[in-house]
Amino acid sequence: MNTSKYFFQTLVVVIVSVLSFLAFKTILPKKIFTESKLNSKSVVVDSLLLEAIAEEVGPAVEDSMANTVIDYKGVNGVRFPAETFEEYTGNQYLATFFEKLFQLETKKIGNVRIAYFGDSMTDGDLIVKDFRTYFQEKFGGQGVGFVNITSESATSRSSIIHEFSENWKTQSYLKVKQPLHPFGVNGHVFYANDTANVAWVKYKANKTRFATVLPRPTLFYGSSSNKEGKINYVIGTDTISKKISPNSLLNALVLSESNLKSIKVDFKQADSIPIYGFNFDDGKGVHVDNFSNRGNSGLPIGSFDVATMRAFQSKLNYDLIILQYGANVLNYGSLNYSWYEKRMAKVVAHLKECFPGVAILIISTADKATKYDLEMKTDSAVVPLNTAQKRYAIKSESSFVNMFTLMGGDGSMIQWVEQEPAKANKDYTHFNHRGAKEAANLIFIQLNKGYELYKKLRKKQKKSAVPIKKDSLFFNTDSVHEK
Amino acid sequence: MKALFSMQNWFLENVGNIDLETIKNWFLFNPKQPLLFNSALFLGFFLIFYVIYILSRKTHYFRITYVVLFSLFFYYKSSGVYFWILIFSSVVDYSLSRLIYVESKQFYRKFYLILSLVINLGMLAYFKYTNFFIANYNSLFDGTMTFEDIVLPVGISFYTFQTLSYTIDVYRRELEPTKSFMDFLFFVSFFPQLVAGPIVRASDFIPQIYEKLKLTKEDFNRALFLIIGGLLKKAVISDYISSNFVDRVFDAPNSYTAFENLMASYGYAIQIYCDFSGYSDIAIGLALLMGFWLPDNFRTPYQSASITEFWRRWHISLSSWLRDYLYISMGGNRKGKIRTYFNLFMTMLLGGLWHGASWKFVVWGVLHGLALVVEKFFGQFIKLPKNSLVRTIQVVLTFHFVVFCWLFFRAKDFTTAFQIADNITKLTFDFNQWQTIILGYKNVFLLIAIGVVWHFIPVKMLAGMQKTFSTLPLVAKAVLLGLIYWVVYATASADAQPFIYFQF
Repeated sequence: MNTSKYFFQTLVVVIVSVLSFLAFKTILPKKIFTESKLNSKSVVVDSLLLEAIAEEVGPAVEDSMANTVIDYKGVNGVRFPAETFEEYTGNQYLATFFEKLFQLETKKIGNVRIAYFGDSMTDGDLIVKDFRTYFQEKFGGQGVGFVNITSESATSRSSIIHEFSENWKTQSYLKVKQPLHPFGVNGHVFYANDTANVAWVKYKANKTRFATVLPRPTLFYGSSSNKEGKINYVIGTDTISKKISPNSLLNALVLSESNLKSIKVDFKQADSIPIYGFNFDDGKGVHVDNFSNRGNSGLPIGSFDVATMRAFQSKLNYDLIILQYGANVLNYGSLNYSWYEKRMAKVVAHLKECFPGVAILIISTADKATKYDLEMKTDSAVVPLNTAQKRYAIKSESSFVNMFTLMGGDGSMIQWVEQEPAKANKDYTHFNHRGAKEAANLIFIQLNKGYELYKKLRKKQKKSAVPIKKDSLFFNTDSVHEK
Repeated sequence: MKALFSMQNWFLENVGNIDLETIKNWFLFNPKQPLLFNSALFLGFFLIFYVIYILSRKTHYFRITYVVLFSLFFYYKSSGVYFWILIFSSVVDYSLSRLIYVESKQFYRKFYLILSLVINLGMLAYFKYTNFFIANYNSLFDGTMTFEDIVLPVGISFYTFQTLSYTIDVYRRELEPTKSFMDFLFFVSFFPQLVAGPIVRASDFIPQIYEKLKLTKEDFNRALFLIIGGLLKKAVISDYISSNFVDRVFDAPNSYTAFENLMASYGYAIQIYCDFSGYSDIAIGLALLMGFWLPDNFRTPYQSASITEFWRRWHISLSSWLRDYLYISMGGNRKGKIRTYFNLFMTMLLGGLWHGASWKFVVWGVLHGLALVVEKFFGQFIKLPKNSLVRTIQVVLTFHFVVFCWLFFRAKDFTTAFQIADNITKLTFDFNQWQTIILGYKNVFLLIAIGVVWHFIPVKMLAGMQKTFSTLPLVAKAVLLGLIYWVVYATASADAQPFIYFQF
């Protein structure tokens, strides 16, 4: 038998297979396993974003800002140097925040509070946890800040152990347009409407730095005609029962003046009382509240009720609001983000109305990679979205952190995913713990640089001009910590 | 002229713009792009290689040297300058084995053997375990030793075991050494199995070097069948489910539901099997097409009814190597019951460590080792009835134990592994939720299902499929192979599954 025959047949097979592959490549589709849109109420999407996309009208006229020089008016005589569009940070707009930090650092007066809004990038307290630690390391402060009653990402949050009963009714600004009561600053409102079973929530401090205890647990809730509601909880061996008095638009109830290790709170006869969440802070130093929501585009913030937010502001006294969005706006199909820019500018304006005088910081989208042909590359939407975010930051007089350039710019997500040890997940979108820590550090470094410059400018200004007017803002103690 | 132009256009569209830089990259080492069997570049190289190979089939020295050079190039593409290590170990092992063979005094024979073991295992230890050792030293003694900047040469774990089998077989007088160094290097560097096995025994392979090169009809058909199946398993099922589902869940298990955690664990079991067995199948097929027989490496392992059986079906070339050269060298079952259990356990522990320098691999090996010991111990007293119901229960239990052990193998650390295990315990039956998730990842679940069904296709039916394939005309086989390339290509260019967050 001629056994050599099959060697030559193999050669024929290889050649013909290559040729037929090239033919198939020409006639058959380029990709298989394409995705059809999944319509399910269980998939987390931001309903306002979907509406905004649906309403998006024609291309807007671009007024290029690329060559704009951003010049500042001084605040209390401190004037930051002018910046180009390219390198825009808008530190000037953080002046009031920097001044509060300065008072805190030098005179140990007051405390500083930051509201950090975000999407799945900050889910499970990623980024924010480390951001908070960097601030508390430098300026003091203990506690994780404001925490929701229920959270989709409670299990992945390492900075606090958070458990809750299944029978809470949750309304989120991502899905509900007309909530039964106004949303809290966390964009949620919760109800213990189950009369058959007790609704409960439990918090336990974890081994996170500056959050090893739950300092001064305080419950926040809104107004209701139900005056029968009460909470039960145990401290040491004592069972404590307290009445909930939902008399004002926003009410705060301190559960303990001391630091607790853990607390489980039962809600009784509390149906229809809007519950917002718990705050854990020691009243000193810096506190950062993480308000993250998977799927959030940032647009839902526009639905905040002004009076309710002002009530929150009078109790919590925010000095800085951070908006870190973008990941959910990246893949909607067009590279024109003028609609998003316009709507987010409105959101920022609304925030300024809700929180008068509070500085605002926009953190841009991070790099995200997508497969083009066979290769992963930076998604073509990243740069246009990034530019849109910078534009509404400038137009709304907000400061800006360019996460995309900070993490390395074009192609950096691929590096973050592929390097050992990895800093981002295989979805080429989300950071892991390591990456989140680095991202928080990059943000902190930029803010700290701005703060150091502020101190220098302040000193120079002091030598040459009249002393700063003692703005009442700087010495405001928030009502939660009034003694 | 016009025809030429359109031809050029067609070429540009389908093959891409080829400039000097591209061509240079084809031949240069790139650690990020090893020459994988499922790449177009390999196909191109193999085509050209094969023409000269079959033309020189009647020669010995030329053909052997030619394959060695191609293999070294193949190795260089994935490991760069480390191909010198391959050559160095080969020189050492060839020379020491020759000395062992000609030496008659037992003392010297033993000395040469130990020298060979020390050098081979020493190199393996240096490249693979130095930083593991440093990390452990540091954490035990609060040390501050800095990590060495060591790159692990691709396939060193595989070819070290191969050369060891040669030296030990010669020492045991079970094998005659090769006639020349080049023949030995051919055995060590043979590219189909060089970087990922199967681990070929010297006694199986070396005699084939001196036989007349032949490719029978059966082998030809089997080879093509293996390559087609291997490509589908490796480059379609495994690659797709890993990057679109399994990797994501293992990256951040707490961001996913209990059901997704469970499915990712099953998915990983299918992924690693398809990846590894698929690659082995392609290797075996390629070797067959070159006229060489390599041992089977996988026999549908998840059909096993016990862990003992699992290890007769999973990575067979490794488990039989460990049995013959490690377990038996430690005394096997010849030194009493207790020693047998100990040897079994240690073999699996070291076998675990062979897979990677990390405690999680040790734990993986230990879990399997304990299971083997438990099975051996209770097997003496308990005889289960042999019927299909009992067997089904055993298969299900064995599979779940294997899946549990894979958690440690796959997760990046113990914390993640336990998180996944913990998340799975929170599973509750919720048909609607499961349905939504399955629809959300329908391609992934479809491929996992195909992987599972494929795994349980009866042997007879597979043989029937192969027989049908054999009867196809030559061109049909080639077109089918071309179609498979397209499936691989279209899967590789498929969009990544968009990110979905479920909330229930």
